[in-house]
Amino acid sequence: MELEELRRRTHPLRPANLGILGGGLLVLGVCWHQTGMGVMELVAGSGNMWEYLRGNPEVPDSGFFPPNLSGKMLGRYLLAMLETVQMALLALVISVVVAFPLSFLASRNTLEIIFPGHSSFWKTLRAAIYTSVRFFANFTRSINEVIWALLFVSAVGLGPMPGILALGLHTSGVLIKLFSEGIEGVSRDPIDALAATGAASPKIIRYAVIPQITPYLVSMSLYRLESDLRSATILGFTGAGGIGMLLFDKLKSYENGDVTTILILIVATVAAIDRVSAFIRSKAS
Amino acid sequence: MIPQSPARESSTERADAESVVAAKGLVLGYGERIVLHGLDIEIPRGQFLVVVGPSGSGKSTFLLALNGSVPVRSGSLVVLGRNPSTLHGSSLERFRERIGFIFQSFHLVGRLPVLHNVASGMLSRIPIPQAILRMYTRDQYRKILEALRVVGLEDRVLDRCDRLSGGQKQRVAIARSIVQEPDLILADEPISALDPRSADRVMETLRRASTEFGITVVCNLHHLEAARKYADRIVGLNEGRVVFDGPPRELTPSAVKAIYKGDSDPEDAPDPLHGEETPSPPSAA
Repeated sequence: MELEELRRRTHPLRPANLGILGGGLLVLGVCWHQTGMGVMELVAGSGNMWEYLRGNPEVPDSGFFPPNLSGKMLGRYLLAMLETVQMALLALVISVVVAFPLSFLASRNTLEIIFPGHSSFWKTLRAAIYTSVRFFANFTRSINEVIWALLFVSAVGLGPMPGILALGLHTSGVLIKLFSEGIEGVSRDPIDALAATGAASPKIIRYAVIPQITPYLVSMSLYRLESDLRSATILGFTGAGGIGMLLFDKLKSYENGDVTTILILIVATVAAIDRVSAFIRSKAS
Repeated sequence: MIPQSPARESSTERADAESVVAAKGLVLGYGERIVLHGLDIEIPRGQFLVVVGPSGSGKSTFLLALNGSVPVRSGSLVVLGRNPSTLHGSSLERFRERIGFIFQSFHLVGRLPVLHNVASGMLSRIPIPQAILRMYTRDQYRKILEALRVVGLEDRVLDRCDRLSGGQKQRVAIARSIVQEPDLILADEPISALDPRSADRVMETLRRASTEFGITVVCNLHHLEAARKYADRIVGLNEGRVVFDGPPRELTPSAVKAIYKGDSDPEDAPDPLHGEETPSPPSAA
């Protein structure tokens, strides 16, 4: 290839790249304009934000600072936070129990191990299972936890249970997608080696697939635990238990010192779970 | 020596009564392309056969046909008394239980310890619940340790495979094949990725496994010195045809020349057993 031709085809600012960059910027510009984004509005209104944080001088204790650290309330918030952690933990267990087996049916490579065969019957069966499980995953994760929580509250009443069920169902869909992407990325070599020994499909998955994806599964599950914890605080707004119910209550009644206390607790808990997750991840790698 | 279970003994007796491999006018190919043209070969039980030839000469395709991974285009192929092309599903699994396969790139699960990688060779004899829990009987543990003794890695049983050297990984792969208690081991370029010392150790181990357990070995090699040193019999392929078939002492320079005739870049396969001291095949001729 001629030097000039090679340079033209590999130059970072070649027309194709400039076209992609220009197209991307155009899309961003349209989004920015149509959603009414603006830096000046934020700068001009930032004073109001400080006003809000300071609170209304005519309403006692309506400021966010100092946080309310009275012993009685703090104990109540800690118990509610514990309940939120329990909700997130139970939701994660439910979602992993649902997502783990289904993710093997949402991955093309493991479907070929579980249902081998080259005839059109087997191909159709694999396609049907793959599409059905993917649809279930898309459906459950497309609907926000809050909507699921409202549905479950109508079924089982107020309290942590509808929150757990909502988070469990939504996270199942998320984890099926994440797990199956991990499974589709495993090396084919150990699978071929075990297939060559005549091992049956469950054993191939146990010995050649699961060991390869374990660190990824652990990492994704722990990430979702943290994510579920944050979501659980919002689910409380629907009456689904935990610290979110208290947070919603205090926000409504302008007891903002208590709101700050609750937010500090949430941040501290998420940070603590992050540390525990990092430790577990290091052991699972 | 690893004692064979009654079922295995009977299969071994069957294999004794006949050639382990018998091919007549065997034609193999992919799509329109014919890779092996009318191969006639018989491999008696216990023989250590090395197949040599340039890249694309049909060595790997022949090996894959022996375990039923490549269908027979025409001619006949009988391996361990069965025609691999006619086997599907569980009958193919049972057939492959009797054939060990050693790959160039080891095909081990790096995250699993040596123990479980070796145990995966006997998966066809481990019930599914035990396999899921990775639970072995005393007898199975004994067989794993015995196989690791043969390959010289009994003290690494609990080490993760991704912490082993290339040569050690290949010896784990050989141990995996030994615990399978096969009648036939197929080895596809087992030393291509190894340094000369490791390559020598791997070939010694493979030879010892063959001798100690009476296993027939069909091994593809690029390295003529290794073939001369370890084989009972050498088959040379060129463009899908047998151009040499005899004991190592008969592999004269003219025979080597015939095997590597038309090989455009024969020097891309330096002999790992002897490094640069060994001339590449055509110059050896």
